[in-house]
Amino acid sequence: MTGAPSRRQLLRGLGAGALGLSALPLAACSVEAASADGDGDELTFLISNLDGGWVPSKSAISSYEANVWQQLTDKLLHTDDHGKVTPWIAESWEANADSTEFVLHLRRGVSFSDTTPLDAHAVVANLDVWAKGRPDEGIAKVGLFPGSTYEGAEAEDAHTVRVRFSAPSLSFLPTLGYHACLLLSPDSVARSLADQADLAHQIGSGPFVLDSWAADDHVTLVRRADYDWAPPALGRSGPAALSRIRFKVLPDDTLRASAARAGQTDVAYNVNPQVLDSFTDNGFTIDVPRYLGFTHGFRVRTTVAPFDDVRVRRAITHGIDRAEILRTVFTDAWEPATSWLQSSVPETTDLSDLFAHDPSAAEKLLDEAGWTDRTEDGYRAKHGTELGFTLYPTPYLTGSVPEAELISQQLGRLGIRVATQNVDISSYAGKVDDNPEQGLAEVTRSFVDAGTVAGVITGDGEDWFGLQDSDEELTELAARVAGTGDRRERASVIADLSRHVLEQAYFIPLEQNVQRIYVQTPELTGITFNAVAIPSYHAATLGRRKAA
Amino acid sequence: MSTTSPGAGALGLAVTRSPLTAARSRYAGFALRRLAQAVLVILLAYVLVFLVLAAIPGDPVSAQLDNPEAGYTEAEKARIRSFYGLDKPVLVQLALALGRALHGDLGISLSTSASVSSTIGEALPSTLALASSALVLAVLIALALGFASQRLPEGRPNALVRTLPTVFLSTPNFLIGLVLIQVLAVQLGLFSIIEPESAGATLFAALTLAIPVSAQIAQVLITALDTTASLDHTEVALSRGLTPLRVFARHLLRPSLLPTVTVCGLVVGELLGGSLITETIFGRAGLGTVVQKAVSSQDVPVLQAAVVLSAAVFVLVNLVIDLVLPALDPRLRPIQEAS
Amino acid sequence: MSAAVLTTGEPTAAAEAPSASPRRRLPLTVVLALLVLALVLAFSLVPGLLTRSDPAAGIPAAKFTAPGTQYLLGTDHLGRDLLSRIVHGSASSMTSALVAVAIGVIVGGAIGLVAGYAGGWADAVLGRLVDVLLAIPSFLLAVVVVTALGYDTRNAAIATGVSAVAVFARLMRAEVLRVRTSVFIEAARLNGGSGGYVLVRHVLPNAVRPVLSLAVLQFGLAILTIAGLAFLGYGDPPPASDWGLLVADGREHLLHAPWLVLAPGLTIAIVVLSVSRLSRFIDTERNR
Repeated sequence: MTGAPSRRQLLRGLGAGALGLSALPLAACSVEAASADGDGDELTFLISNLDGGWVPSKSAISSYEANVWQQLTDKLLHTDDHGKVTPWIAESWEANADSTEFVLHLRRGVSFSDTTPLDAHAVVANLDVWAKGRPDEGIAKVGLFPGSTYEGAEAEDAHTVRVRFSAPSLSFLPTLGYHACLLLSPDSVARSLADQADLAHQIGSGPFVLDSWAADDHVTLVRRADYDWAPPALGRSGPAALSRIRFKVLPDDTLRASAARAGQTDVAYNVNPQVLDSFTDNGFTIDVPRYLGFTHGFRVRTTVAPFDDVRVRRAITHGIDRAEILRTVFTDAWEPATSWLQSSVPETTDLSDLFAHDPSAAEKLLDEAGWTDRTEDGYRAKHGTELGFTLYPTPYLTGSVPEAELISQQLGRLGIRVATQNVDISSYAGKVDDNPEQGLAEVTRSFVDAGTVAGVITGDGEDWFGLQDSDEELTELAARVAGTGDRRERASVIADLSRHVLEQAYFIPLEQNVQRIYVQTPELTGITFNAVAIPSYHAATLGRRKAA
Repeated sequence: MSTTSPGAGALGLAVTRSPLTAARSRYAGFALRRLAQAVLVILLAYVLVFLVLAAIPGDPVSAQLDNPEAGYTEAEKARIRSFYGLDKPVLVQLALALGRALHGDLGISLSTSASVSSTIGEALPSTLALASSALVLAVLIALALGFASQRLPEGRPNALVRTLPTVFLSTPNFLIGLVLIQVLAVQLGLFSIIEPESAGATLFAALTLAIPVSAQIAQVLITALDTTASLDHTEVALSRGLTPLRVFARHLLRPSLLPTVTVCGLVVGELLGGSLITETIFGRAGLGTVVQKAVSSQDVPVLQAAVVLSAAVFVLVNLVIDLVLPALDPRLRPIQEAS
Repeated sequence: MSAAVLTTGEPTAAAEAPSASPRRRLPLTVVLALLVLALVLAFSLVPGLLTRSDPAAGIPAAKFTAPGTQYLLGTDHLGRDLLSRIVHGSASSMTSALVAVAIGVIVGGAIGLVAGYAGGWADAVLGRLVDVLLAIPSFLLAVVVVTALGYDTRNAAIATGVSAVAVFARLMRAEVLRVRTSVFIEAARLNGGSGGYVLVRHVLPNAVRPVLSLAVLQFGLAILTIAGLAFLGYGDPPPASDWGLLVADGREHLLHAPWLVLAPGLTIAIVVLSVSRLSRFIDTERNR
């Protein structure tokens, strides 16, 4: 055994390794503590994931990446949380009488962070890709942009853009403030799908520019010193107040909450609503912005038993105690639904009578529908079939799991067996949205213009209710919503449409949707949320003491 | 967990008992045989895991392709399935995958389309840092318990020390981890939650993983120490007036090292398996997280590679220990037999 | 420990001995362990006797009530009585651990028996299988099996059982080899006993005690493994109340309702500790 190390040497080596290993973490521990109170201007934002990637057509409307995009890019218009449209890069605009032609007057002196000007040519390049996409290259259009009627846009001069549509397009202006319609440099817009996946290739004109990013880990932004074109709605001109924003990915809800409580982050995104009261008690600020869009609720596939019977659908609607859900699962900041549209949508009318909690009515409906037998466990049955179904709480909404458990309890009292099964984001679409066998699917969908409702319910649209245009009244109402150029007239059609949807219990509303929950240090102020509940941090400040 | 069972001793430690010179050639043969066995076990582990996972209903590629909104034609679906090799019988798939794996190609993730080796390669350092720190901590805890078990006089404190390993082993590591985070990070601010890979957070994650594992090492160590202590020469040493620490180190610990190091090898499996829960609780992006993601998306190639890699690490670590220990010091052997 | 109190009795007798009549010199910790296990057994068999609240339906207005006189262990996020949930979760947690151990004993025992008794070719093949099962970290193996079978508690139990097969196979093989070489087996053989007869009549009875001791130990480990699988969401979904699932559910509320994690977590720890104590006791008695 010559040449082999002696046992003594080996053991000594082992010992040294062990010491080194254990000393390392301890040493670095103190470094961390030292760097904890650094520059007070850096905002730390803990986010659940940034898995959507950086292809704008894929992730711009994601609940997660949108928080980053909003700081990196500007929009033509700002749409506030009540749908009001105010200037941004477009300083002013005109529309013709039937809303088919629009002229946008652009602000001067705006540039992308690579110094190329944000002028009429750049805007046309962006409009074209929003309206049509480049399907051959795998680049999708902006879903809500009125692309089918889009005829084209042209630069009349360096700061004027004319946009033409073949039919009335009331949704055009509000959609310019939608999170998907973000302005990127012509070079970024022209890049291939593969190139676009790299955030470093996305050049915007926003108040912050990219400093560094790593997939599944972080995105760090730094303030752009020459930024001077913030929308007046934010209440601050010139460059941003914060010097840096660090988005840090931490997928676990509990850890994000713990980090916020430990004071290790300024913002924690999407924390379980049931924990929020304890944060309020400890002096944290909670923002629960509501977007324009649909309320949180179930859309019902009428092709799937037992939901093919309107009496069962209505029984479920009346069997859910929404007040108990709000009290138990959420906090006072949540509001009851008044329709299937959020109450901040200007066209929404109060139809809450149509889905009031009424267990005795629900029992009666189920009796009428023939679910009168009882199984051993006490659930209703008909011809040997138990009345029941499975809920897959949406992973896109924090609080959906306890909410589903509570609904299961409430419907259980009526004799409906509701199983709940948790799924993650990667398998949710396959189990629920794309599964024709799944009767109830939760809706968490924003829009900036109520005209959207027409597209989700028709047979050639998303066909949410599986009706394939078999409900003629519904189809006709949807066509009228899409075809009208007058906002007033459209509002009354939308009211009729909403009443019909709720009477038929095609949609079972739960509560006004709060999809984004921001737990913040009280030192953070000056945040503005837009129509889709995404924050702008341009005017935000951290009143942080720079103590020794 | 198998290590505490009466039947699970050191693997193949029945080594030659001849004089050194004659032993050398026998040792070489023994080493070669052990190496061949280890390779065979890893290959068989690959086959076993493959066959078990073949029972998984569905796969992410087909789920994606069959989505009606995606609008693929049957021919397009068939082409993509054949790219992933999903159209062939299981045994053919196994043969192809095994053939590729032998050339170092672990395939492509079904859910992200990234190469499996890079997916695992990115996650591995985090898990290795966690597992090796945990092993160090576990050994330190076991040594402390071992020392205390010999140093403390008979009575309550000593009994308590001897009960601790059972308590450690009985406590679910998720409970330990959750309490550590709550108390040390949230209330005392001792480490960073938002940087789970930082040294401070790694230390406490490692502690979570180390506590149950230290119990297994401590149990073996204490038994060995007791056996050694009952032999005469310790008494002699004590009577010669050496300090207790010296006696512990020289006369008790050294002869007890063989079973202790052996059990350290066996707990590697615990460390790798336990990393699944520990990484979840601490939010670390390691092999355990990769396994969890692969499980939820039914990403068979990634799951397969991660599990077989863990098995390979376990087998190789134990192979090295088996080969090195008897080569180190023939004097250690009789102690092993005595235990 | 006092000498030879139980040497003549079967260890099972100790395990089943009603705690009401502890033998004179049974160590206190063993008595406590038996009490704990008897309590959990009662939880599992007649949960309704010990708690009146419905484990699946709560009073939402009473959510997050701290432990007190009304709710001994407090309530959860839907106002469900935590004690009742733990009690009703016992049956599932205990049964699945039992199933796991049974699989380990039966499958592992059979493998070890055949390998040890047949020797030669069969021993070599089965030996490799056992090596492979030992090489895959047991928790990972359980995760792989439960992934293949589908997520529910029964499958988690099977998966845990599969991961325990190897240790039982090893032990049984060693026992068979030990007994096989002993004189009385040779005698039985020479007297013309068939292979199967000798196996059943002589080999098995001699292996019972060590296998029992290992089985009790593995029972505790199976509780932990199944709890771990449930914690990761590989068991039955809520409103099931397996102990590991209760910890996972309570985790989000650790900040403001720590009892939701501590109560089920400590329940697991105490039960496993009791099982370990019992296993060690059986072991020492056997070696006496």
